[in-house]
Amino acid sequence: MDRRVTVSAALATTLLCGACGGGADTDEPAFRAALLTSGPVSDAGWYAGAYEGLLMMRDSLGAGVSHQQTRTPAEFDEAFLAYAADGYDLVFAHGFEYQDAALRAGRQFPEMTIVVSGGGRVTENVVPLVFTLEEGSYLAGMMAGGMTVSGTVGMVGGVAIPPVQGTFRAFEAGVFAVNPDARVLEAYIGNWDDVSAAKEAASAQLRQGADVLIHNTDAASFGVFQAVRERVAEGEVAWAIGMNRDQNGIAPEVTLGSAVIDIPRAFLATARSWQAGELGGVPIYVGSSRSVIDFVPNPAVLDAIPAGLLEEVDSARVRIRRGELEVPRVHFVEGETEEG
Amino acid sequence: MRARPFIAIMGNPWVSGATALALTGLVAAASLWLGGFDPLAAFASLVRGSLGSPGAFLSITLVRAVPLILTGLAVGVAFRAGVWNIGAEGQLYAGAVAAVWAGLHFGTLPAALLVPLVLCASALGGVIWILVPAFLRIRMGVGEVITTILMNFLGIHLAAWMVRGPLQEPRGIFPQTESIPLSAQLPVLFPGTRLHLGFPLAMGLAVLAWGFYRWTVAGFRASAVGASEEVARVAGAMDVNRVLTGTFLASGALAGLAGGVEVAGVTFALYEGLSPGWGYTAIAVALLAGLHPLGIVGAGVLFGALEGGAGAMQRNAGIPSAWVSAVEAMVILSLLAVGVASRSRTAGPPTTANESGGIVAGTGGSDEDPGHA
Amino acid sequence: MTTPPAARLGNITKSFGRFPALSGASLEVRSGEIHGLLGENGAGKSTLLSIFGGRLRPDAGSLEIRGTRTEFGTPGDAAAQGIGMVHQHFALVPAFTVLENLALGYRSSRSRWTLPIPDLRDRAARLQAETGLRVPLEASVERLGVGDRQRVEILKALLIDPSIILLDEPTAVLAPSEVDTLFGLLDRLRAQGRAIVLVAHKLDEILGVVDRVTVLRRGRTVLTAGRDEVDGPALVRAMVGEGPVADPAVPDIPRPRGGRVPPGEVVVSLEGAPTSGLNGPLEIRRGEIVGIAGIEGNGQGSLAMALAGRSRPPGTRVRLPAHLGFIPQDRTRSGLAGSMSLVENLALALHRDPAYRTSRPGLPSLLRWSALRERAGELMERYGVSGPGLDAPVAALSGGNQQRVVVAREMALARDVLVAENPTRGLDVASTTFVHQQIQSLSSTGDRPPGVVLISTDLDEIMALAHRIFTIVRGSLREVPRDARSREEIGGLMLSGVEAV
Repeated sequence: MDRRVTVSAALATTLLCGACGGGADTDEPAFRAALLTSGPVSDAGWYAGAYEGLLMMRDSLGAGVSHQQTRTPAEFDEAFLAYAADGYDLVFAHGFEYQDAALRAGRQFPEMTIVVSGGGRVTENVVPLVFTLEEGSYLAGMMAGGMTVSGTVGMVGGVAIPPVQGTFRAFEAGVFAVNPDARVLEAYIGNWDDVSAAKEAASAQLRQGADVLIHNTDAASFGVFQAVRERVAEGEVAWAIGMNRDQNGIAPEVTLGSAVIDIPRAFLATARSWQAGELGGVPIYVGSSRSVIDFVPNPAVLDAIPAGLLEEVDSARVRIRRGELEVPRVHFVEGETEEG
Repeated sequence: MRARPFIAIMGNPWVSGATALALTGLVAAASLWLGGFDPLAAFASLVRGSLGSPGAFLSITLVRAVPLILTGLAVGVAFRAGVWNIGAEGQLYAGAVAAVWAGLHFGTLPAALLVPLVLCASALGGVIWILVPAFLRIRMGVGEVITTILMNFLGIHLAAWMVRGPLQEPRGIFPQTESIPLSAQLPVLFPGTRLHLGFPLAMGLAVLAWGFYRWTVAGFRASAVGASEEVARVAGAMDVNRVLTGTFLASGALAGLAGGVEVAGVTFALYEGLSPGWGYTAIAVALLAGLHPLGIVGAGVLFGALEGGAGAMQRNAGIPSAWVSAVEAMVILSLLAVGVASRSRTAGPPTTANESGGIVAGTGGSDEDPGHA
Repeated sequence: MTTPPAARLGNITKSFGRFPALSGASLEVRSGEIHGLLGENGAGKSTLLSIFGGRLRPDAGSLEIRGTRTEFGTPGDAAAQGIGMVHQHFALVPAFTVLENLALGYRSSRSRWTLPIPDLRDRAARLQAETGLRVPLEASVERLGVGDRQRVEILKALLIDPSIILLDEPTAVLAPSEVDTLFGLLDRLRAQGRAIVLVAHKLDEILGVVDRVTVLRRGRTVLTAGRDEVDGPALVRAMVGEGPVADPAVPDIPRPRGGRVPPGEVVVSLEGAPTSGLNGPLEIRRGEIVGIAGIEGNGQGSLAMALAGRSRPPGTRVRLPAHLGFIPQDRTRSGLAGSMSLVENLALALHRDPAYRTSRPGLPSLLRWSALRERAGELMERYGVSGPGLDAPVAALSGGNQQRVVVAREMALARDVLVAENPTRGLDVASTTFVHQQIQSLSSTGDRPPGVVLISTDLDEIMALAHRIFTIVRGSLREVPRDARSREEIGGLMLSGVEAV
C-alpha cells in the first residue's frame, strides 16, 4: 500500500508539474510554507493571526509563502495536491475542518508536513497544533475569583463544543483556586455572531448576581461587554474578561484583562521546530510555556485590582510554565492520554 | 420573449463562450491592474492552474466540473419543461446527507453494492427535497420559484444540524461526520489523479438526457410542455401534470446525485458549507449552455476551469480571494450576456409582425407561467 | 391640395432576417375617413400597421404626420403624435383590472409620478357614455370575453384622444351584431374628424364602411382607390395578383347544404348539461357537418374542449372515437408552440400516432423524426404553407400560414371526427375559402368520412357549411329547425336563446 501511494504521489506531482514549472525564482527560498484558511484573513482575529504568522515566516525565516482561502471542503484535497505539486514543504491548515483531507494528503505526499490547527489526529507528517487556551483561561478564572464581590461569576459561550467547554472548565478551576465557595454560571447562545443574544445571556447572568463575566463567543463578544457596561452605568459593580485576543481596549473601564492566543508566535515556533527536524509524530501543544497563551491584565484598571491578586496570578503563570501546575484540559487529539 | 427558444438551443454555445471570455479578459485585467495586481501573472496562473497540465485538468478542472454538470443538468431538465427549479442547492445538500447516511449505515457492504446504494440514496434525498415544491406547484398552483428557494434554506440547515446531531463524528467534537468507508467511495479513474467515477457518470447522464430530448416521445413531451403548457394540453392532448411530475422528480434526483457524488468522490464526509453555491451557479451553467445537455457538460467544464484556476490565482499570484470572486463573477456575467445575446440573434425573426402574438399579448400572455417572466 | 393628409407612410421596407415582410409599402390616410387596408395573409398589413404604431422600426421609408416629416419612434412617440392602436392580439395584462389596463398607457396632465386613477375613472366613464363601449371597469381582464377585451383595447386607444386610430382586424373576434356596433362607433369617430385605418378580411363587411382602400401584395402597395372606384372582384384580383396562384382565389362561398343528413354511424355523443335543451344527446355522425353558432363567450370554449376530449366538465359525458382532430380557436395560445419548429409542431399532435413512433417492449418509445419530416413536407405542400422551412420556429410564419399548419395537422388526425372552433378567424379570403373547402371535402370524401363539429361565431360560415345547426347560449345548446335557417332567425336565437319560431 505504501509503495502504491508513493507511486501515485510521484505520478500526481509529475502530472501537475506544468502547474509549478517556469515560475520559480532564481534565488531559491529557504523553504516553502503555505497557509489554508476557511475564512478571510481580514477578520482581525483567528485567520488574521495565522496570516501574520505566515508573513513572519517569510520575513524572519526566508520562507517562500502562499495562502489560499478555501470556500468549501471540496477544495481541501485540491489545495493540498496543488501545494505538494508546487514543492511546498510545510502547510498550515488553519482549522479542524482540514484534518481528514490533511491525513489523506499526508499519506499521499510523505515529503510534505501539514500542521492542522485544532486538529484531532496525528501521523508522522500530519501534526495537530493545539492551543492550550485553558492556561490563559485558568489565570482569568483566578482573577475573576479574586475580584468577585457577590461570589458569583458567569461564562457566556458560543456553541457548546469541547474546545469552548474546555476553556470554561479551566476558568472554573481558576475561580475555585482562589475562591472555593464561588458560584459559576454557564450559558451558550448557540452561534458565534449573534451580538444581541450574547448581550441577553450576559444580562441574565448579571441579574442572577454574577459580577464578573468571561466569554468565548468570538464575534458575538461585543454583546457581553455591552451588557457589563450597562450594568455599571446602573451603579452596580461588574467586570468583563476578554478571550482569544487582547480585548482590553473594547470596554477599557470595565475589563479586567484578556486570555489571549499569540498565533503568529505559535506558527513561527512551529516552523522553527520543523526546520530543526523536531516536528512529526506528536501533537504540538502551545500554551503559556511558549508564551503563546497568556492572560493580559488590563493596564487601564490596574489600580482597581488588589496587588496581592496580581502576584498570585503571576506566580500561577510561572508554575504553569514550569509544569508545576496542571490546568484541566479537554483532550480531542485522538489517542492522546491524560498526560498528553 | 421566451427564455428557451427550442431551435436556438441547438445553436453553438462555444462561439459565444470564446467571445465572452476574450471580452471579460480585458475587463478583468483592467480591474486587477487598478487593484495593484499583475494581470498577466494572474491570468497565467489561472490558465496554468486549470488547463496547464494533464494533472491540473484532470484533478482540478474536471473534478470541479462534476457537481456543476450534475446540478446544471438538474436545472436544465427542469427549465426545459418550464419548471423553475431554483432549489438545486437544497436538493444537493439533501442528497449529500442521504449519501453519507447510507455510506455510514451500510458501511459493511462490499463496494459493488455500497457505491450504487449511496448514489441511489442521494438521488432519493434530492427527490424528497423537491416533493413539497412539486406538490404545491402541481396540486395547488403555487409557483415553485419561491418554494424551491425556501427549501434551499431548509436543506442547508438540515446538513448543519446533521453534522452537529445525528450524524456527527462519534467523538462529538467536530461539526462534521465521520468519513464514509473506502467501499462507499467512488473509485479514482487514473492513479495519481483525483478524477473519480462521478465524471463519467455525469457525462453518461448528459448523453442520456440529450438522447432523451432528441429521440424519445417522453422527452419531446417535456420540451412541448416547456414551450407552452397550454399548447401541450390543447394541441398535444398531453397530461401536463404527469410531465411536470416527472420533470420535478428527475431534476431533484440529479441535484441530489450531485451532492452524493461530491461526498462519495471528493470530501468523503459531510460538512456544513459543503457547497459554495453550486446549485445557483448551475443556473448560469444551464443558461449558458442553452439548456442543451451536452452544452451543459461544456459549460460545466468551463466553470470548473474558472474556479480551479481561481484557486491557483490565489496561491501563485497572491490575489486575495475577494478579488478572485469578483473576477469570476465578471466572467460569468459576460459569458451569460454574450451567450444569450448570440442566441437571440439566431432565433429568427421576432415574428412576422404581431400576427403571431405580441410580447404582452393578452391572449398569449398566460402560456408563460405567472410570476416567472 | 389644401390640407395635408393626416399621415403618409412612404416606401417602407422591413425584413425579418432574410424574410422581406415589406418592400415598398405606402399608405396615405386622410382626416375624417375610414381607410381599409387589405391584403392576403403575409402581405404585410400587420407589419405596416406595427411600424405606423411605433412597435416596429422600418429598415427604410418615410413618415409624415399632418404634412410634417417625422422620425419613426416608439409606441410612446406614436401616442404623443396622436396615433392610437388597437392590436389584433390584445396588448392587455390579464391579471389587471380594466381600469389598471387603461392606466398603462395613460399620462395625467397633472402629475408625472402618480397614477391618476380617479381622473382616469372619470375620463373612462365619459368615454364609455360617448361611445357605448360598456365594460365593467373593475373587472379583471382575464375574466372578460374576447369582445369585451376588444372594447377595453379600443377604450385604451381612445384615451389619448388620437387623431389617427389603427385597428388590426377588429372584426375577427366579433359576432355579427357586435360588428355592426363597432362600425357604428367608427362612423361616429370619423364624423369627429379622426382618421381611421381598418384592417379586415371580410371584403363585404369592410366595403360597407370604408371611404378608401389600400391593397398590399407581398409587401408592396399595389392599389389605392376610393370606395366607389373599385368593386369586390377588382380588389380580390389586386390582393392575389394576376395569373396562376397556388390558392383557389375566388371567394366562392359554397352553397348551404342543409337538409340532407348523411346516414353515417354516430362517432361522437355528448350528454349532460350542455344538452339539457335538446331531446337527447348531441350526436355527430360520419359525413355530416354540425354547426354550433353563438356569440363569443357563451361556453363555446369548454364545449370544444369537452368534444375534443381535452377536459371533462362535471356533469358531462362524452363518447369519443379514437382518431380525433381538434382545431382550437386561438392558434397562438393553444394551437401552436411559436418557439418550436414546424416539424415539432406537427409532432405535437402526431406523436401519439403509432406510425410515428417506435414501440419495442422494455425500451422507451422513440419518435420517428424522419417519418415526421416526410409527412410534414407532404402536408405543407398539400396545404400550401409557405415559410422559412420545416426547421424554423412557426412564430416566423404569417398568421394565415400558421392556421394552415394547424388545419393540416388536425385534418391528418381526424379520421373519425374533426372539432373546429373558429377555424377561419383572422384568415384572409383565400385562406378562408381554402379551409372551408378542406372541411367540406374531408367530410364527403371516402367510404367512411369523419364527422365535423364546426363551432363558430361567424354565422355565414355556419350557414354555408353545416348540415345541422345548433345555437349555444350560456353553455346550453338548441337545435335550429330546418325551416328556420335564415340569418335573422338564427341571429335572434344566438342573442336570446329564445326560439323565435
